[in-house]
Amino acid sequence: MNAEQVVSALNKRFPALAAHTPREFRIWSDFVEPKEFEAALRFAFDELRFGKGKHIVGTDEGEYIGLSYIVSNDENILLVLREKVPKAHPVVRSQGGLYPSMVLHEREMVDLFGVSVSGLPEGPSYPLPDCWPEGQYPLRKEWNPAYFNKETMAYEPPKEEARE
Amino acid sequence: MSERNDHKVVLPIGPQHPSLKEPGSFKITLDGEKVERAVVEIGYNHRGIEKACESRNYTQDLYIIERVCGICSHAHTSCFCQAFEDMAGLEVPRRAYYIRGIVGELERLHSHLLWLGVASHEIGFDTLFMYTWRDRELVLDLLAQIGGNRVNYGVNTFGGVRRDLEADLMQDILHVCDQLEEKIKYYADLATTETTLIARLKGIGVLTPEDVRHFSAVGPVARAAGILDDIRVVEPYGVYKEIPVNAVTDDHCDVYGRTLVRVKEMLESIRLIRVMIREIPEGPISVRAPRKLPAGETLRRVEAPRGENIHYIRSNGSDMPDRVRVRAPSEANWHGMSYMLEGFQLADVPIIIAAIDPCYSCTDRAVSLSSGRDEQIASWDQLRLFGIEQYKKNGIDPGSIAIRPF
Repeated sequence: MNAEQVVSALNKRFPALAAHTPREFRIWSDFVEPKEFEAALRFAFDELRFGKGKHIVGTDEGEYIGLSYIVSNDENILLVLREKVPKAHPVVRSQGGLYPSMVLHEREMVDLFGVSVSGLPEGPSYPLPDCWPEGQYPLRKEWNPAYFNKETMAYEPPKEEARE
Repeated sequence: MSERNDHKVVLPIGPQHPSLKEPGSFKITLDGEKVERAVVEIGYNHRGIEKACESRNYTQDLYIIERVCGICSHAHTSCFCQAFEDMAGLEVPRRAYYIRGIVGELERLHSHLLWLGVASHEIGFDTLFMYTWRDRELVLDLLAQIGGNRVNYGVNTFGGVRRDLEADLMQDILHVCDQLEEKIKYYADLATTETTLIARLKGIGVLTPEDVRHFSAVGPVARAAGILDDIRVVEPYGVYKEIPVNAVTDDHCDVYGRTLVRVKEMLESIRLIRVMIREIPEGPISVRAPRKLPAGETLRRVEAPRGENIHYIRSNGSDMPDRVRVRAPSEANWHGMSYMLEGFQLADVPIIIAAIDPCYSCTDRAVSLSSGRDEQIASWDQLRLFGIEQYKKNGIDPGSIAIRPF
């Protein structure tokens, strides 16, 4: 199945994805709600044979946290399917059942973006150390490394900023 | 120290351990000598590179990205540059693509020679370890001639390369290729005839083609299971659009297969270097690159020595990226590690781990998080003095050692 056929199949079933292929071997889509994303990912896995989980790109979208799952098929097309969850309450379901390779990346989303991933198998956290302070998510835009004290492992923003 | 669990023993290995020179923790549950379960814990080398990139401009980021890994630094900058050039719409000169290709294949050679040495050491074949690391020096000397450094050569820049290859230097490269080819052919012969080596590597750390797909393994690990997973072939970029690669695959699906793939790939790299040097066009080596990128995002990949390397860049239109994400090949190959270890003997654990050619720094990415306070950056002279003092404390006076003129 080539990229155009994949785009056509995805858009027919999930128009909200607005899948498109700006260059060879790449298919991008828009952010959608978790429920639609999960259905699209399952469809890509079962019907379109995108069996390889490459990685997840987490992004801070302001009010939302975006999770872009990058999967691939035997034709080596990279398909980007995306979900967004509110930053105030970011909860997603683990896709490790479909793609075991995504588990490590989902752990990254937990540590670096503060996303809660339900159904994540038990295991060590990744990649931050065990002594990392609770509630500090370094890849969120508001997190400033200048305020992180490596000696005490404490995040100490100036008082005015902390009040905001 | 180990814990007992009925008749099982849980053996913690690492994070600091003798088998590899980078930190990684492995909790191995043993039933006698057999590995029943393995839990892998990594992340000790996380340095925050992706966050650091967001507060620096693209040019500064290129230097940080080069330091994601000491072994495949050129693969990382090649990928990052391609992503940048893709977004900027830059037309990179052909000569630059050839130089990138030559340096990339030299990097593959030194990476695979390093791996062959480490793998030999893990199975107690230290003679081969010493041979391969001696040979690797030839490649490192060439890379130092090209970029001034044995690692982090600083060859790539946005829009091309920073250093041209003079005719004399290309002759040196060809001369080293001749020397290496002879040695690598000997290692290939050794790998297929030396019974002890074959006995230690065959049938362990098995990943079938189905397992490779399931765990999304990449590079030599995938190719050793007969899967053609080489980005230079499946999505040719740069010089590989003009000079096709003869991908190496094998069907042993085990550590032995991964060894054969890497040894044969070195011969293919030598062939590619010779062709690139023969075909390299005259002309400029770079074009002027903009400081800012238009808003947008891109996903590029290259074939690093360890496999598929993916870089994601999102631009907000400024001279600093909004987001950078690096998925190094080692990160992809960790997923199947527990599965590869389970069922095999404890003595095979080091070589099974080594067989994916793991790079912890690549996996974890990063640079020291700067607090902006109490940060100490040592100068080269300070580092040198520090090294000399450390040696003196251990009873060695480096000043008394005669150094070969270089």
